[in-house]
Amino acid sequence: VAVTAKRQTLGSARIREALVGYGFIAVPMGIFLVFFIYPLLYSLYISRYDWGVFGKIEPLGWENYRELWHDEIFWRAIKTTLKYTVVVVPLEMALALSLAVIVNAGIRGKSFFRSAFYFPSLASSAAITAIAIYILSADGLLNAIIGGNRSWFGDSDTALWSIAGLNAWTTSGTMMLFYLAALQAIPTDVYEAAAMDGAKTWRTFWKITFPLLKPGHFFVSVVAVIGALQVFDQAFLVSNGSGGPNYSTLTVVLYLYRTAIADVRFGYAAAIGIALFVLIFTLTLIQRLLFGKAETA
Amino acid sequence: MAIDVARIEEVDHSIPARTPGERGRRVLTYAILLTISALFFVPFLWTISTSLKTLPETTGFDLLPNNPSLRAYREVLTEFDFLRYAANSFFLAGMITLANVLLCSIGGYAFARLKFPGREVLFMLVLATLMIPDQLRLVPVFVMLSGWGLVGSFKGYMLIKLVLATNLFFMRQYFLTIPRDFEEAAKLDNAGHFKTFWKVMLPLTGPALAAITILTFQGIWNEFFWPLILLGFGSPDHYTVQLGIAQFSFQYQTLWPQLMAASVIAILPIVVIFLFFQRYFVAGVVASGVKG
Repeated sequence: VAVTAKRQTLGSARIREALVGYGFIAVPMGIFLVFFIYPLLYSLYISRYDWGVFGKIEPLGWENYRELWHDEIFWRAIKTTLKYTVVVVPLEMALALSLAVIVNAGIRGKSFFRSAFYFPSLASSAAITAIAIYILSADGLLNAIIGGNRSWFGDSDTALWSIAGLNAWTTSGTMMLFYLAALQAIPTDVYEAAAMDGAKTWRTFWKITFPLLKPGHFFVSVVAVIGALQVFDQAFLVSNGSGGPNYSTLTVVLYLYRTAIADVRFGYAAAIGIALFVLIFTLTLIQRLLFGKAETA
Repeated sequence: MAIDVARIEEVDHSIPARTPGERGRRVLTYAILLTISALFFVPFLWTISTSLKTLPETTGFDLLPNNPSLRAYREVLTEFDFLRYAANSFFLAGMITLANVLLCSIGGYAFARLKFPGREVLFMLVLATLMIPDQLRLVPVFVMLSGWGLVGSFKGYMLIKLVLATNLFFMRQYFLTIPRDFEEAAKLDNAGHFKTFWKVMLPLTGPALAAITILTFQGIWNEFFWPLILLGFGSPDHYTVQLGIAQFSFQYQTLWPQLMAASVIAILPIVVIFLFFQRYFVAGVVASGVKG
């Protein structure tokens, strides 16, 4: 009798633990279901309607997607976003890796330099873009130094690349921290062996450090690509929300935003969102394949 | 002063003698480092300098203003309402951070320590939400919140930021590193689950709580995308500092001293937090691995 009684209290203790567990996660799970999981399905639903400010207007089937397929501005935005990504990701990675290697090179004042390089990452996108608009304006500091008179964000030839430069600068600090963590994970005996072989610093870096950083490269590139495909704040801020001049800063997300908020075409905007999701998902998968599965763990 | 010099000399002696070539390379390394650091700081120095100038003075390129004045700050804070925007940003960042610290620590504890059916599946679901881009959620979340009348008010924005998956993940990972001995003692005392969490486990998570506090506050204070969508079209009374900057730069593009003063106001609180809690920044950024 005593044994069954004990078992019962054990059983009820287990049930109580489970109930407490559900109670502790109830609010977070509720938020995730309502504001993350459900919107995923809801946006699929919305994307099959002509959906205006007062809700559904009429069902369209896949018409929004068909229109998207033939939408020149959408393809232009995709092209702009990809162009930007192809330039900004290697720039960010190279800058971040250089900073990480320098900071990691056994110098004095290491934490000072680490903080100095991380500093731009602290600033908000709005403030840092305002500063960039000022410095890159036609009569701004940059032109005063190089002796030009170009409005860097106002010229469709340079606007997108100016955003790329700005973002490479501001994100390099964060990416540097990721690379630093990866650098410090490399066992020191590898370097001792290289030093015994009399390998030069430069050669050691390319032959040993760079390949051993593969997990770091993977992680940083995934974060950088996802960030680049979603670029919005800076494009919005330098163009007064228009994506100009001449569509040169109209990224996919800015186009989505304009379609939803300015044109109030929620169905069509939802379709753009899903297209963007598919694009990000595909590119992340490709990166995973490129870097090999073993490196991602 | 004397002590400092002594220390430097001592350090110098401890470094083995070098060939001139090595010394030269070392000098070069530091020169490069200092140049890069300067390049990283110049835009900020220029910003501060401009914020202390008068508008006519901004046509020149002196780093030091002739008659430095705080006029631009006074103007943006009062005439251009940045005092209110800063108060809004503080309120939102503070409340959301508080909610995250409470909900994510208690939820992280449950995921790390309590046994309940479906725990692993639910945790995978939390991780899966990290894969859903914010932009995909723009339309459905906007439609839902406007249906509930929560667009243009703080409530809607606070609701969608109440729990951030990265924080929950971070806290769970931290609880997993705490040895079980601590709870065993509490169990012997017959303490309930909440008491064990609150009295025994939570006090052990100081560094993790510090990291999520700082990163959440910074993230919300700096955020542009969701405030723009949920607060940008209501009354300017609900603007955050970042929305204020966007609006100011669209409207008065070339009032540089004021725009730069507003930018300093937007950056300064985070810099102050960074100066005091640097190590938590670094630990938090690396561990969570996700930053907007």
